[in-house]
Amino acid sequence: MIDKLSFVTVYPEVILLVMACVIALFDLAVKSSGRTATYILTLLTLAVVAWMQASDASTGQTHYAFGKMVVSDPMGNWLKCFATLALMVTLVYGRAYAAARDMLRGGELFILSLFALLGMFVMISGSNFLVIYMGIELLTLSSYAMVALRRDHAASIEAAMKYFVLGALASGFLLYGMSMLYGATGSLDLQEVLKAIQSGQVKHQVLVFGLVFIVAGLAFKLGVVPFHMWIPDVYQGAPTVVALMVGGAPKLAAFAVVMRLLVEGMLPLALDWQQMLTLLAIGSLAVGNLAAIAQTNLKRMLAFSTISHMGFVLVGLLSGVVNTDTSAVGNGYSSSMFYVVTYVLTTLASFGVILLLSREGFESEEIADFAGLNQRSPLYAGVMALCMFSLAGIPPMVGFYAKLAVLQALIAPGDAWHIGLAVYAVMMSLIGAFYYLRVVKVMYFDAPVSSACVTAGMDVRAVLSLNGALLLLVGLLPGGLMALCADAIVKMLAS
Amino acid sequence: MGLLSLAIWTPVLFGVVLLALGRDDQAQAVRWIALIGAVVSLLVTVPLYTQFDVSTAAMQFTELSPWIERFHVNYHLGIDGISLWFVLLTAFINVVVVIAGWEVITSRVNQYMGAFLILSGLMIGVFCALDGMLFYVFFEATLIPMYLIIGVWGGPNKIYAAFKFFLYTLLGSLLMLVALIYLYLASNGSFDLVVWQKMPLAANVQSLLFFAFLAAFAVKVPMWPVHTWLPDVHVEAPTGGSAVLAAIMLKLGAYGFLRFSLPITPDASHEWAGLMIGLSLAAVIYVGLVTMVQKDMKKLVAYSSVAHMGFVTLGFFIFNSLGVAGGIVQMISHGFVSAAMFLAIGVLYDRMHSREIASYGGVVNTMPKFAAFAMLFAMANCGLPGTAGFVGEWMVILGAVKVNFWVGFAAASALIFGAAYTLWMVKRVYLGPVTNEKVKNLKDINAREFFFLSLLAIAVLYLGLYPKPFTDVMDVSVTELLKHVAISKLP
Amino acid sequence: MSQTLSTAMLLTVPMAPLVGAIGAGILGTKFGGNVIGRATSHSLAILGVLIAFILSAMTLQSVVVDGARFNETIYNWMVVGGLKMEIGFMVDGLTAMMMCVVSFVSLMVHIYTIGYMEEDDGYNRFFAYISLFTFSMLMLVMSNNMLQLFFGWEAVGLVSYLLIGFWFNKPSAIFANMKAFLVNRVGDFGFILGIGLLAAYTGTLNYTETFAKVGELASITLPGTDWMLISVICICLFIGAMGKSAQFPLHVWLPDSMEGPTPISALIHAATMVTAGIFMVARMSPLFELSETALNFVLVIGGITALFMGFLGIIQNDIKRVVAYSTLSQLGYMTVALGASAYSVAVFHLMTHAFFKALLFLAAGSVIMGVHHNQDIRWMGGLRKYMPITWITSLVGSLALIGTPFFSGFYSKDSIIEAVHASALPAAGFAYFAVLAGVFVTAFYSFRLYFLVFHGKERFDQNPDAHHGHGHDAHGGQHKPHESPWVVTVPLVLLAIPSILIGYMTIGPMLFGEFFNGSIFVNPELHKAMELLHEEFHGPVQMALHGLTTAPFWLALAGVALSYYMYMVNPALPATIQRTFKPIHTLLENKYYMDWFNENIVAPTARGLGVALWKGGDQAVIDGAVVNGSWRIVGLISGVVRKVQTGYLYDYALTMVLGIFVLMTYFVWLK
Repeated sequence: MIDKLSFVTVYPEVILLVMACVIALFDLAVKSSGRTATYILTLLTLAVVAWMQASDASTGQTHYAFGKMVVSDPMGNWLKCFATLALMVTLVYGRAYAAARDMLRGGELFILSLFALLGMFVMISGSNFLVIYMGIELLTLSSYAMVALRRDHAASIEAAMKYFVLGALASGFLLYGMSMLYGATGSLDLQEVLKAIQSGQVKHQVLVFGLVFIVAGLAFKLGVVPFHMWIPDVYQGAPTVVALMVGGAPKLAAFAVVMRLLVEGMLPLALDWQQMLTLLAIGSLAVGNLAAIAQTNLKRMLAFSTISHMGFVLVGLLSGVVNTDTSAVGNGYSSSMFYVVTYVLTTLASFGVILLLSREGFESEEIADFAGLNQRSPLYAGVMALCMFSLAGIPPMVGFYAKLAVLQALIAPGDAWHIGLAVYAVMMSLIGAFYYLRVVKVMYFDAPVSSACVTAGMDVRAVLSLNGALLLLVGLLPGGLMALCADAIVKMLAS
Repeated sequence: MGLLSLAIWTPVLFGVVLLALGRDDQAQAVRWIALIGAVVSLLVTVPLYTQFDVSTAAMQFTELSPWIERFHVNYHLGIDGISLWFVLLTAFINVVVVIAGWEVITSRVNQYMGAFLILSGLMIGVFCALDGMLFYVFFEATLIPMYLIIGVWGGPNKIYAAFKFFLYTLLGSLLMLVALIYLYLASNGSFDLVVWQKMPLAANVQSLLFFAFLAAFAVKVPMWPVHTWLPDVHVEAPTGGSAVLAAIMLKLGAYGFLRFSLPITPDASHEWAGLMIGLSLAAVIYVGLVTMVQKDMKKLVAYSSVAHMGFVTLGFFIFNSLGVAGGIVQMISHGFVSAAMFLAIGVLYDRMHSREIASYGGVVNTMPKFAAFAMLFAMANCGLPGTAGFVGEWMVILGAVKVNFWVGFAAASALIFGAAYTLWMVKRVYLGPVTNEKVKNLKDINAREFFFLSLLAIAVLYLGLYPKPFTDVMDVSVTELLKHVAISKLP
Repeated sequence: MSQTLSTAMLLTVPMAPLVGAIGAGILGTKFGGNVIGRATSHSLAILGVLIAFILSAMTLQSVVVDGARFNETIYNWMVVGGLKMEIGFMVDGLTAMMMCVVSFVSLMVHIYTIGYMEEDDGYNRFFAYISLFTFSMLMLVMSNNMLQLFFGWEAVGLVSYLLIGFWFNKPSAIFANMKAFLVNRVGDFGFILGIGLLAAYTGTLNYTETFAKVGELASITLPGTDWMLISVICICLFIGAMGKSAQFPLHVWLPDSMEGPTPISALIHAATMVTAGIFMVARMSPLFELSETALNFVLVIGGITALFMGFLGIIQNDIKRVVAYSTLSQLGYMTVALGASAYSVAVFHLMTHAFFKALLFLAAGSVIMGVHHNQDIRWMGGLRKYMPITWITSLVGSLALIGTPFFSGFYSKDSIIEAVHASALPAAGFAYFAVLAGVFVTAFYSFRLYFLVFHGKERFDQNPDAHHGHGHDAHGGQHKPHESPWVVTVPLVLLAIPSILIGYMTIGPMLFGEFFNGSIFVNPELHKAMELLHEEFHGPVQMALHGLTTAPFWLALAGVALSYYMYMVNPALPATIQRTFKPIHTLLENKYYMDWFNENIVAPTARGLGVALWKGGDQAVIDGAVVNGSWRIVGLISGVVRKVQTGYLYDYALTMVLGIFVLMTYFVWLK
């Protein structure tokens, strides 16, 4: 049952794995404190992988491998491609930061991040409970290690500890839910599970029982209320570069897993899990935005804002199936995918600026640290402002179109309940606008505390400018990316 | 590239260039580029007027190309008699504002000028958009430059003002966003205004949509009782900001009523006309009284703006051509007059750095040229015939009396209030003996100030003495609009 | 001389002064950098007015001689929803007469100003203003539609505002001009509503078209009320007239307007602008004829003004204020005439009054100059020696004012009294009494003024506080009085002539001839006043002779005699009377407490209301409670939510477990 074709299907993963090991060995030979060689090699690898994923995706075909344990479809490939790019950008932004904090004494950062990426790939491609679980564990274990990378830094250790314990608990939930479903349906293979559920033989209550645990596990990965508690502490405690690695690309993987498990695996149970997601979404929108107002630490504020944005992602997911009518599911899911992708794009830029401003022995993560940035560096202030307006959902920034997409999916049924939820969501984002604006206010209206001009490498400048420009350009012409997401989701549903 | 796209993107382009390349050490060059940009942007709008066909109510200079296929959002532009003048007005005021900021703004000149150029482009976009989503994008995008203008170059309490401005208006427009999406779905996937205007809607749905729009537009206009952000913002905003805010931004809301509320939800508009008239009259009388007791010149003019905009909304919701056309004319005239008032206050503020009426007195003795302009604008502000301020009020009052004598009666009280607060200010600021040393040492306006003040003075007098060109342009469109509104859309 | 009326010619009439105004106003002032000097400015202005006067005269001539009429649109102001709004001229007897009066008096005042304003820095500005006024006034009277009427109406108000506050460093002046503008605005408030109603129900603003349609309005009531529409319209319009023509209770601004330079008191606040209201009502006679209610209202208001404003004239000591109050009461007479449907009589009195009142004011100005800017008649006396021309002309003016037979004032005033007597309206009784008593009062205060100024002891050197108006007292207070220069006296003479003759000459054609045909309309069935007058009229001479035997004459004579006794024979008497009738005197001193009422009740109430709504409504409720309040609530909640994030691992774990538990309960057990 394991044939050559299977390996052909997963060769990007294979290459990634091989290269990870190669780089690990190669790094032993590297002496320079900046790990330049390792850095370049890693970027090359990622570039190649990203390119492969993109070309796979553009074929638009769906392959199953290893006896349907692994699937390679456009949605997955695109998400992998984006995740890879996100990691590349993260490394570009974070290298100087890491170097300044003695995190590059060994090449762990690079190797671990590669393995984390591999974990994401597995999650994304997994079409089988065990594969997915394996991917999740690979990702999270690498993440734990990276959060703790500054072993002399108490906050990081504490964050890592919390992350680890809670993560373990969440994995427990997930595993338990999976076993329940396995017991109920007698298969680990998602499609088998789906068939079993569709057959109607299985007792509904048992399914829901498992479903609750699976949703809880996923909610932890997405970081939505009430399974969000780890996010603020980890974002704040972890070294900023790692915070970005945890808060950026993995969101894409988490989204993929949600799609695989809930949609591919349990679409018939949509009415149940949609209601669950509704509760989680309402909670996340409220807690995320309200708590963020009170924050003075930018990373922590962004952590809470993440929670609220994941709430919006859920809003897209929960509006797929309209009272047993599955005709328009694509609409909701693709809008969520668009939301996730654009959100990651924005997060990269905002953390990029934070990383850029952090100097030797100075974490520029208090909002106050951004005072008068406009005088010091109009460019970076501009990028940050773009991020903030985008997160606040002000057109023509890309964040607005994400909200638009999600909301139209939500309102589609046209009944009072959905419209009410939409109004609730926009009101929450109104509250959200306040703290994003506050950052802009600090950067533009306040007088600078330090006049130290911001210096950065050519590569960082270029990437950051491009990243900021994308926020605006994708906003002015969002059609392409939207079409891409829609197409990917349609193909995935078709298979 | 069509004329309208040109009108929208020329200033934006110049603005972006300024933001990208401007440095404070070449401030002078920046100013000139900004001026050139503004003038060019004004010139490209001229053909709109010369080639405009007044005989048709149809949209002209239309441009249509798909923008976001997935949601059938189109880049759909076009203007009719209602919007034409606002495009021109915006471009015109933009030039004036650039000149007005010439010497006053010394820090981050490129950002200041850039913000204004981009802002004017976006506002022209609002007046040209025929696609609901495109309208919304422009409508919202204007908040960003204005927020920065207030916050960066504003007065002592600028932070509060900037946030109040942004969040207050965002609150309204978010509700409108929901309404737009609902219409999009109700019309099976179209954001086209024309489609929406034809689409039948149930009464209760119309009412909900009407109030969603009201939330957005009433805040922007602003109507009583959601007007309280305006005085705070005006007081803190830099002169140019106040001018643009009063002259154009407030009009975005009023314009929204004409493009959305009236044609899309005509039955609801009729059903709630009483409420709207009530709120408008509250703006005229309540705010009129409040204006009389203001001690801060900018606050005073800001409140009087609310009162004047009350006439606009009043005119729209009495549903006769005198009223609607009057409302539009009032928008245009208020565009000139309020801009002039704020710039005049700016002239004083630049010299004395005080907006308190009490710290002035006898300015005419030291600034006779300026006082002459100020007197003209003041008279326009209290609606003296022969000035712009009169035309709109006259039309609306006549229209109101036609509908109901008592509505007209209440509206006409503005004659008294307007005169009272304006002359009260004129008396205490300009007339009388010189009150203190600072006034004694005032320098009269220089050539630059004389220039832009006379630009506005000419506009004010022209509109007052010969409004026909303005009304002729809008007559057909207004008649058409009223015809449309008269027809029930109930399924 | 042209025999027909051409648009170009009529257009020149108002435009010529406008050009003068712009020339003097922009080139001659600081605004344009004083490009042209005084001489150029005033010759420019005077030339403009001169042209206007000549053309007006020609117009009048062709109107009278070959009955020329003119009614055409100059340009189309706007058209909205079928309602045409135009700028256009209508010329008929009424208009032509007004044009001549306005341009003539204005011309006189222009010339007079050369002397009077000589020492003033604002010389050119002043010429600009009065020329601008002439333009506005001509636009008003020549209009053929409501829009232009309102335009002129407000424009003259503006110029009056500018001129009352001409000495803008005088606090009293800038208070007076604001007061004048506001009170006028109260009138305009009614006026615009009247116009609005007319436009709404007739669908036009043009006079002739309106009048053609008024018949239909006669029977309609105002929706929602049982008031006759026509009455509402007329009363609204008349409220406008009350503001402009200073009728009780909107008269309060006129006495204060004396703060302005004397020439404009003559031009604006006596001869022309204040009569605009009378003119307007006469124009609207076809409307007023339809509403008994309105006419009664007019009669009452006119009566009150005519009598009670006269009383106030008695106790004034400021020479200009005495004349001002007499103006008020004379305006009252005209209004009464309107109320009695004797519109032509009202306009007739308007004309005669324009001449002799302008004369009196200019003479007063001359006196003021003569005694070096002292306006208090208690410190004058015996001036006839020093200022003969001024003396004679003032005497003429006073005689005309009190209605001495053969003087112009007699014909007009006597006709008014007769007309009211003949009127059948309920309010006519009161009005008749008022105007009759008014004759006595008028005679008394006029000659009190005359005697105190020109006869008796010379007191001008005893003035304790030689108050110098606006600081330009080139020569100190103690010099002997002197006659004014020719530029001042010539106008006096030129005005004195018509003050004597104009009534005698024109009463025939104006009241009983064809002159006002087509411009003034009287309903002969209802209002017979004019017919009765006509029957009794047998030529001016007989009228004058008969006048010697009637009550008004004897009342006037009594008034003169009394004033002679009190101020020439027994100068101590007034003081005693003052003491004995203290309360009445105080009442008059305080002008019936009307200013007190406005300044201490009306204004504070409005401002109090404003403050209450601002602090209470805007700041406390809307901003404080709703806007910031809701935001504060959000802040509180966020504070609470934040607390939940304790930072303790076990709390986090617990939350997760609880989350599971809730989902379980709801989805597995409850459903």
